[in-house]
Amino acid sequence: MIEIEQLYKNYDSHEVLKNLTLSIPAHQVVAVIGPSGSGKSTFLRCINGLEKITQGKISVNGHVIDAKASKKELQKTIYAIRQETGMVFQQFNLYPHKTVIENVMEALIVVKKLPKAKAHKIASDLLERVGLSDKENSYPSQISGGQQQRVAIARALAMEPQLMLFDEPTSALDPELVGEVLKVMKDLAEEGMTMIIVTHEMNFAKNVANRILFMADGVIVEDAEPKAFFEHPQTARAQQFLHQVSEF
Amino acid sequence: MDLIIENIPFLLKGAYYTLLITVVSMFFGLIIGLLAAIARIKGNRFLRNIARVYVSIIRGTPPLVQIVIVYYGLVDYGIELGPLTAAYIALSINIGAYVSEAFRGAIQSVPKGQTEAALATGMTEKQAMRRIIIPQAIRYAIPPLGNTFVGMLKETSLVSVIAVTELMRSAQLLVAQYYVYMPFYLSIGIMYWGMSTFFTFILNKVEKRLSVY
Repeated sequence: MIEIEQLYKNYDSHEVLKNLTLSIPAHQVVAVIGPSGSGKSTFLRCINGLEKITQGKISVNGHVIDAKASKKELQKTIYAIRQETGMVFQQFNLYPHKTVIENVMEALIVVKKLPKAKAHKIASDLLERVGLSDKENSYPSQISGGQQQRVAIARALAMEPQLMLFDEPTSALDPELVGEVLKVMKDLAEEGMTMIIVTHEMNFAKNVANRILFMADGVIVEDAEPKAFFEHPQTARAQQFLHQVSEF
Repeated sequence: MDLIIENIPFLLKGAYYTLLITVVSMFFGLIIGLLAAIARIKGNRFLRNIARVYVSIIRGTPPLVQIVIVYYGLVDYGIELGPLTAAYIALSINIGAYVSEAFRGAIQSVPKGQTEAALATGMTEKQAMRRIIIPQAIRYAIPPLGNTFVGMLKETSLVSVIAVTELMRSAQLLVAQYYVYMPFYLSIGIMYWGMSTFFTFILNKVEKRLSVY
């Protein structure tokens, strides 16, 4: 489903991603872990074009982002990819001026041009799925962080994506609210959604993902099954990282 | 006092024109200002520079000079405008520059994550701007726009120089007729103050209303 070839990303002279090549088949749940500043989020954001790549190619569902393509062409592919990809952010980024249900309906109305009643039905079903039927008419500021993030997931799902990108979805949450968000993500994984999750939740990565990408300094240091990665990390860098996160 | 009471209808008519000029100029100023703000933030280099030069010129020259250029200056090129039209044009262009700065600040205060979230759901830049960013920016823009509006109310007194009989000129005409200054100037002072206070009050209400979310 995703093919990445020799992907480079620079900020000015600073190389954030260095020569990434990998492929991700449909229905795989990939957890991207690693120390902060290793390029995990940037990697994720390149996939739906929120970051402009410097070199290489990313193909999502047959739409190819080629660093060498013209601006217009790039815009077109990125637009196509975003139609088929949902994204969930660390800071939720719900629209504060819209109610919960309006947040979910927005893209259906603006992008898919659905009639309001139909969008409302879809949004309502999705909110039920994430357990927030009773919050439809609340504003984001009136609900908890965990609930906000579940709304954000519903909003991303509204476009019926074939791929979901999660950028540290639980990092901004109070500890007691993390579980409800992970639960929704787990359900999604079990339904067969293709997911790429940048996360610091090691247990979740271990139990829900079927593949771990361990990144450090802009490269993928290890690419393994969760069990293998957590029990027998191959590189010193990964061993050190796992040791640090398991301390205390 | 009798003099004032006797001439109240005349002064009220002046106040009506002051309000009319303020509201009309503010209306067109809002449109010009929004376009200029978007040009400065999202436009290509050409548009950005035009908008920047526009704001710089307007903010760097006295409004009185702008008014006489539009009314008297354009006559040299065969463009003769009625005083009221000239007032609308000069003040709309003037206020547009200030509105554009208010909008620009407001648009930039909307967190970047909002645009990203909108884009990630498949919206185009334009759709994200219209549906997500601008509605939020308007809330941030209300306080500075309110100040601009009240400022405009007072600035309209300048168009008395091009013979628009708004509040200021009404007083001047009465002074010329009766040879007394203080009662008339004092009354229009109070009328300006009353109008400013009224609008400030309304704007505070609007601001409170919009900050519910």
